[in-house]
Amino acid sequence: MANIKHTAADYYASVKLYGSYRFVSAADVIANFSVGYVGDEKIIKRAKKTDIAFYCYRAIQELSYDTLNNIKSQEFEMPPSLTVAMPHDAVNILNITWVDSAGVEHLVLPGWLSSAPRQVLQNNDYSFQTDATGDVTYLDKSITEQRYSDSYTDSSVAGTTADQNIDFLEEGYGYNVDYGKRYGIDPVHATKNGHYILDEEHGTIGFTSDFTDRLVIIKYVSDGLASNDEMVVHKFAEEAIYKSILYGILSSRSNIPEYQINRVKKERRAAIRNAKLRLSKLNIKELTQIMRGKSKQIKN
Amino acid sequence: MVSINTVYQRVLAILNKENRGYLTPQEFNLMANQAQLEIFEQYFYDLNQFSRMGDNDSEYANIIENIEEKIELFSSSEDLSTYDDYYVDIPFSLYRIGTISNNNIVFDKVSKKEKRDILNSPILNIDSSNSYLDSNDNSPIGVYCITGNTLEIYPKTKKINIEYIRKPIDVSWAYTNVDNTPLYDGSNSINFELHESDEPSLVIKILSYAGISIKAAEITQVAETKDTKLTTEEKS
Repeated sequence: MANIKHTAADYYASVKLYGSYRFVSAADVIANFSVGYVGDEKIIKRAKKTDIAFYCYRAIQELSYDTLNNIKSQEFEMPPSLTVAMPHDAVNILNITWVDSAGVEHLVLPGWLSSAPRQVLQNNDYSFQTDATGDVTYLDKSITEQRYSDSYTDSSVAGTTADQNIDFLEEGYGYNVDYGKRYGIDPVHATKNGHYILDEEHGTIGFTSDFTDRLVIIKYVSDGLASNDEMVVHKFAEEAIYKSILYGILSSRSNIPEYQINRVKKERRAAIRNAKLRLSKLNIKELTQIMRGKSKQIKN
Repeated sequence: MVSINTVYQRVLAILNKENRGYLTPQEFNLMANQAQLEIFEQYFYDLNQFSRMGDNDSEYANIIENIEEKIELFSSSEDLSTYDDYYVDIPFSLYRIGTISNNNIVFDKVSKKEKRDILNSPILNIDSSNSYLDSNDNSPIGVYCITGNTLEIYPKTKKINIEYIRKPIDVSWAYTNVDNTPLYDGSNSINFELHESDEPSLVIKILSYAGISIKAAEITQVAETKDTKLTTEEKS
């Protein structure tokens, strides 16, 4: 009755199987749920597999956003356009870093002082241009985005690199230098790592000009349903998935007593909390190492 | 399985007890098939009724399990190939559809409206790819709906397995004429497929029809009274 579906020899011979014992597939979740929760004398008397699958997929989506830690990443070299498409299966961008020659990642922050609006094409009399169907026409990249993208260049100091110019450094590496200049730069805008701007409408990410030729990593979350291989749940979150399906089915049906729904709701919340705790990988030894830094004296 | 000869002899014995008349083998065969179908169809209504009443943990007196056991005598399974990727003709002998599956995937029976809703749901994402279900182990769900004698199956697949309850085979009391007397021919006869416990019900039902046939109303009346009494005892 062992749960492992393949021999140890098969496992070590197949790269695809590495680490697979940590997960349970959506198909198995649906089958297990049908056995444990559906039938005569059980909490759900009758449920279609499509209902169970729907709530299973919804639970995978919801848990993917903040519980399952399924963080995906893409590493790429920056194209000359300084604009890249969001990853094809991204639901939200977590963070963007650029990688130096030592392989160290440097966090890139979003450009909070600008945005990526749609640039309306205008006629000579400043009226908006329209196409044959009567809709307003737009440019691919707005002037705002272009200006912000170019703002890194420090044209005032000829013959020096940015890192050699003290004024330049004090002014936050040339970013947002005119913003609050009279009182010194606001530290929230100070960075030497450049900025990016998300163009939510077009699904692209624009970068400042210092990203030319840089190696960039985008870390993002998906919804866990983009491909069949992804439709798995970590075993730490298996109970949370069952409770989520149960709650989804019961709460969407008529004539289910409210106390029963509330009971399942509480059980679901507790199961998700357990899953989050387990998946957060809190490790006492790692914590000890991090806390050692607390005793270090900061020297001026 | 109930011997057709036993039932025929019992029916004749009861009919002849009071010199009521004689039931020919041809008449008996017609009535026997009618009675068999009637009892068979009643299984499903009884199962529904007893399921609502709840069952018990006894070994032999769990009525739900007993009825399921009777129905299981007619269960059948068949592997069928699809045509045009989505369609399967239902087996000729099918009486009630049970489970339709493909390896580990069990297909849900849905109405045509539900089918449209499900196929339009992007989260369920059934049948969106060009690959067959058979080559995609990760598809955990499928649906089917019935159009006439055809099953429409999603996602597309090359084969399915259907478990179903088949119709009972027509019974026949076969005979050879010896001196103008029909003599039982066991090798060519077809027995009842019903459970042994239904033998009394078969005799009573056939007697009821026989009473109408030989215009002996009291026979029908007695048979129906007995039938009602039996049913009441079983279900109370």
